[in-house]
Amino acid sequence: MSTKASRAAARLMISPSVILLLGWMLIPLGLTLYFSVLRYNLLMPGDNPFVGFENYSYFLTDPGFTAAIWNTLALVLGVLVITIIGGILLALLLDQPMWGQGIVRILVIAPFFVMPTVSALVWKNMFLNPVNGLFAHLFKALGLEPFDFLAQAPLLSIIGIVSWQWLPFATLILLTALQSLDSEQLEAAEMDGAKPLSRFWYIMLPHLARAITVVVLIQTIFLLSVFAEILVTTNGGPGYASTNLTYLIYVQSLLQYDVGMGSAGGVVAIILANIVAIFLMRMIGKNLEA
Amino acid sequence: MGKITLSQVTKSFGDVQVIPPLDLEINDGEFVVFVGPSGCGKSTLLRLIAGLEDVSSGRIDIDGAEATELPPAKRRLAMVFQSYALYPHMSVRKNIAFPMKMANVPEDEQKRRIDSAAKALNLSDYLDRKPGQLSGGQRQRVAIGRAIVREPAAFLFDEPLSNLDAALRVGMRLEISELHERLATTMIYVTHDQVEAMTMADKIVVLRAGHIEQVGSPLELYRAPRNLFVAGFIGSPKMNFIEGQTAEAHGAHTIGIRPEHIEVSATEGMWQGRVAVSEHLGSDSFFHVHDTGLADVITVRASGEIGFRHGDTIFLTPREDQLHRFGADGLRM
Ligand SMILES: Nc1ncnc2c1ncn2[C@@H]1O[C@H](COP(=O)(O)OP(=O)(O)O)[C@@H](O)[C@H]1O
Ligand SMILES: [Mg+2]
Repeated sequence: MSTKASRAAARLMISPSVILLLGWMLIPLGLTLYFSVLRYNLLMPGDNPFVGFENYSYFLTDPGFTAAIWNTLALVLGVLVITIIGGILLALLLDQPMWGQGIVRILVIAPFFVMPTVSALVWKNMFLNPVNGLFAHLFKALGLEPFDFLAQAPLLSIIGIVSWQWLPFATLILLTALQSLDSEQLEAAEMDGAKPLSRFWYIMLPHLARAITVVVLIQTIFLLSVFAEILVTTNGGPGYASTNLTYLIYVQSLLQYDVGMGSAGGVVAIILANIVAIFLMRMIGKNLEA
Repeated sequence: MGKITLSQVTKSFGDVQVIPPLDLEINDGEFVVFVGPSGCGKSTLLRLIAGLEDVSSGRIDIDGAEATELPPAKRRLAMVFQSYALYPHMSVRKNIAFPMKMANVPEDEQKRRIDSAAKALNLSDYLDRKPGQLSGGQRQRVAIGRAIVREPAAFLFDEPLSNLDAALRVGMRLEISELHERLATTMIYVTHDQVEAMTMADKIVVLRAGHIEQVGSPLELYRAPRNLFVAGFIGSPKMNFIEGQTAEAHGAHTIGIRPEHIEVSATEGMWQGRVAVSEHLGSDSFFHVHDTGLADVITVRASGEIGFRHGDTIFLTPREDQLHRFGADGLRM
């Protein structure tokens, strides 16, 4: 795209998709902003008067709000830490030449194909259930009291479930990154006297930096909006112990038929997501530059 | 310091034996070049010496001590890879410092060695750049710098110049030769380019399919190639081979004559032919002569003043004292 004519043509040709995308995003965003300043409850039909920031102040002073913010951050951070450390270890393992490599790789990736509702139900009923769950049996076999994960450690349980779902994604991205590492670099490091741990730390990890950044950014987007896993396991409880922002908005708007309040919550969530995004780009964005 | 001995070393990948039993002695301070066509096992041999591959059988001694089972880091050898294998996220300084950092060399000693290597290799202005911001020749120098600071018993080079353009290649060739003169450390240098081998080596090892075809100084190989393969591989342009009656007249199955050992004339000579292609380099001229009845093409090298054109008749006279005679088994007679 060097000449003026070709640049103009390019602009013209991409304009339909740009306009479509803008409409696709701006109209819902505009409506959300509009609803968030109305008193708009489906249980109280009638006119929907303008109330300014009333919805926001209700949402922000909701007893669950602070808890939901911290839970959201804990969920995102916890899953990121687990999936990245676990993903690196798994990728290192899968990168070793071994028998049945293809099948093992497919098996490792499998959890990613299970939809969140199903995997959360499987975890809830088959693993974490204090009576019938595998963990309960394991605890009993060891002579311990069964532990009711979802009641005693609801947020940790959800972090575990979500990590299990996202581990394959992280592993896959990190594995491909690892495979793109020039083996001569590792050999050079070996000849330079670097022990395996030093080779990992000085050669492999810097090489993985970009892939790790990609994993962090993509996962953060999805982890900020975890919902199904909470709905089918703990319902956000006990109390607000496992309510994140997405779930709180659901409780506020859908359960109480309050469109205005839900919209306000949505706007708050957008702002939070952007704050997180700015922090992330500041911290690790430079890894993406070539 | 850097004497390396291979005894009955073999290497197989699965069922394929890439290196059949091989003996080789490399003396301290020698510049040894492994040369041979692509895929003949030069890199494999170098990697066996480096310890990056395990030998299938046989024994390797370095400095008089057995090193067959020693890990690469313990062999005190430094290797310069074809791809340079620089660490892309580290600055030039950190790249060069890396082996010393791994060996816990004190900081001030590290600095001293980096500065002297950078000075010797003209890298002082680039120490804080990343490898990605350097040209091919500079990267090559960084790789050499990283090898030098380890003060190794021997340097191993695997086709280090093959990624450089022709002009840089000549320059780096000289620099590596100078480096060898200055350090007087053993160097093993792998290449498929016989010009590099001839110009740099104290000792050339010619390999074919893992076999050592001949070991000797460049001039020994040039003057007395042991077989047809070495005769054809060493020297540029290639030696001419003539079979049939002409060869039998000399009591051989094949005779070889180098292009520079044939006199040319427009009027008289032993063989007559027609010039197909003439290449004028200024200092020399190469003529590719057809229709001699001896071989498909005979290449001759004459001084630059001599001008034959395409289609001209040319007379060739080989210098009898420079004829190489080979038997039916391909060996020198
Ligand atoms: N890791 C390996 N596995 C199987 N075969 C190999 C391996 N490395 C090299 N070879 C084979 O060994 C032969 C020699 O290779 P190499 O030493 O790289 O040749 P050169 O460096 O002389 O071009 C080649 O035929 C190559 O295919
Ligand atoms: Mg090679």
